[in-house]
Amino acid sequence: MTATEIIVEAADATPPRSTRSVGAYLLIAPAIVWMTLFLVVPMAMIVYVSFWTQTTFKIEPKLTLDSWQTFFSSSTYISSLWTTVRIWLTVLAMTFLVGYPTALFVGLFVKNKTLQTTLLVLCVIPFWTSFLIRVLAWRPMLGKEGAINILLMKAGIIQQPIEALLFTDLSVVIGMTQIYVVFMVGPIAFMLGRIDPNILEAARDLGAGFWRILRKIIFPLSLPGVVVGAIFVSVMVLGEFATSAALSGRKVNLLGNIIVTQVGSLKWALASVVGVILTFIMGVVIAGLLRIVDLKKEL
Amino acid sequence: MESRLLKPILAVYVGLFLLFLYGPFIVLGILSFQQGPEGGPQFPIQEWSVFWYKHILGLAPPSRVSPLPIGISLTRSLTLAGMTMVTSTVLGVMAAQAFRRNFKGKSAAFYLIVLGMIVPGVLVGLGSALVATTTGLERHWYSTAFATHVVYTLPFAFLVMLAIFNRFDASVEEAAWSLGVPPATTFRKVTFPLIFPGVLSAMLFAFTLSYDEFSRTLFSSGREQTLPLAIYSTFAVEIHPNVFAFGVLTTLFSFALLTVYAILMTLSVRRAKRVAIQEAV
Repeated sequence: MTATEIIVEAADATPPRSTRSVGAYLLIAPAIVWMTLFLVVPMAMIVYVSFWTQTTFKIEPKLTLDSWQTFFSSSTYISSLWTTVRIWLTVLAMTFLVGYPTALFVGLFVKNKTLQTTLLVLCVIPFWTSFLIRVLAWRPMLGKEGAINILLMKAGIIQQPIEALLFTDLSVVIGMTQIYVVFMVGPIAFMLGRIDPNILEAARDLGAGFWRILRKIIFPLSLPGVVVGAIFVSVMVLGEFATSAALSGRKVNLLGNIIVTQVGSLKWALASVVGVILTFIMGVVIAGLLRIVDLKKEL
Repeated sequence: MESRLLKPILAVYVGLFLLFLYGPFIVLGILSFQQGPEGGPQFPIQEWSVFWYKHILGLAPPSRVSPLPIGISLTRSLTLAGMTMVTSTVLGVMAAQAFRRNFKGKSAAFYLIVLGMIVPGVLVGLGSALVATTTGLERHWYSTAFATHVVYTLPFAFLVMLAIFNRFDASVEEAAWSLGVPPATTFRKVTFPLIFPGVLSAMLFAFTLSYDEFSRTLFSSGREQTLPLAIYSTFAVEIHPNVFAFGVLTTLFSFALLTVYAILMTLSVRRAKRVAIQEAV
């Protein structure tokens, strides 16, 4: 979040000393080489292999559009593309709706610093459990004989257990919202915490009601936080496959799940096609979100 | 005034929010004490027992539920996390140290490193698996998976160290240099003790991220499973409360790790204070 700020400040703090820039290159070189070899080259490889020829178990570097045609002519793959977009948009909306009030409370209403830190730490603690265990923990919650159904039946709200809770779109959305909502809360609470209380007081003194202040002042000022949170959530949800595998009973197939199945049957070329499409979607989403606010200016 | 009413409403909401975050885990904790081996992964608890904990540790009598392949995969995961921690912390400290000066391509270098935490694991894993298959390299948890883990954890270590150096008072280093202390000794005796809390945080980040990482590992580790992969393989089959018991144990392990971190942190802060006081006297 403060990355650009850090660069700018670091650049300001140290006057250019050309004699020592050789040392800087030596220090940065290992990291650059590592990232190039193990990140840039593999990503380029995905693009390249998506045009290779796939035989039953092997891929050959004969360039072809076959795998691309396979993807776009199959209704299974196209529908998984739409499922991915649908689940992503739903989870994005849910993390925002569920997370914003929490961020509002933590960032704006809690004046006590200790309480503020405690609440934020409470939000982060679940991350100290294995991600997969947290996903799996939803099964005994949502199942037909799960905790939620038992509680609802004991309370007399429902007579029959709700079966639609587990192994549906809904369970995937619930699971992902719980796992990723904190990435929305953090940046928004950070931006809200920086709002000058005098502005809010001035608005109140001039007779603005809370909703008007929220709409006209608080929300616009928190927008950079929303965008940063949305980028975090989007990137993670679009690359997901474990939550859908564990909570949908293989009914919800995201692009990530397609990649896993294709690699499992050694269909490298098709997996690469899906990888390129996923990367493209992610690029478009991030670029689109960054157009909403100028993060360099705002942070 | 509306906002006077709003605050208690929001407070209740945040309480519910925390319940949403913790609820599944509480249920999981309760169900880990399910009777075994017949008891399933759901309510009601037939009889409270620690059967599944014994099952995890290999102390339970053999039953139809096969034990989780934890022993060897745990060793692998810990070794891998250790390797990743050391490598990404060293590279991260070096890169952040370089960023204290100006050089051409600085912002390009910044984006390249940070890219490692943005690109989803499934893509990095796929890419490195492709590179390995096409070049005929064998995939192992200690080679290909290790490389992708560092790609993921290095940006975190780097950003933590950037933040630390950002608040760093360079005049102490300059004082050492002007007294004729060679740069390497200055780094060891002056700079490193001062940035040590940051180094600890970077190490903690790298270790826990790697220990829990699986989407990168899935394609890049070959046949020998790490711990998260062993858990992932239980997704496909029927789950038993042993996975829940394991979840409780692994959480306790994380907290133990956090405690060690907190103790080391307090010690290093206290030592820094003591040095400061001695200097003042």
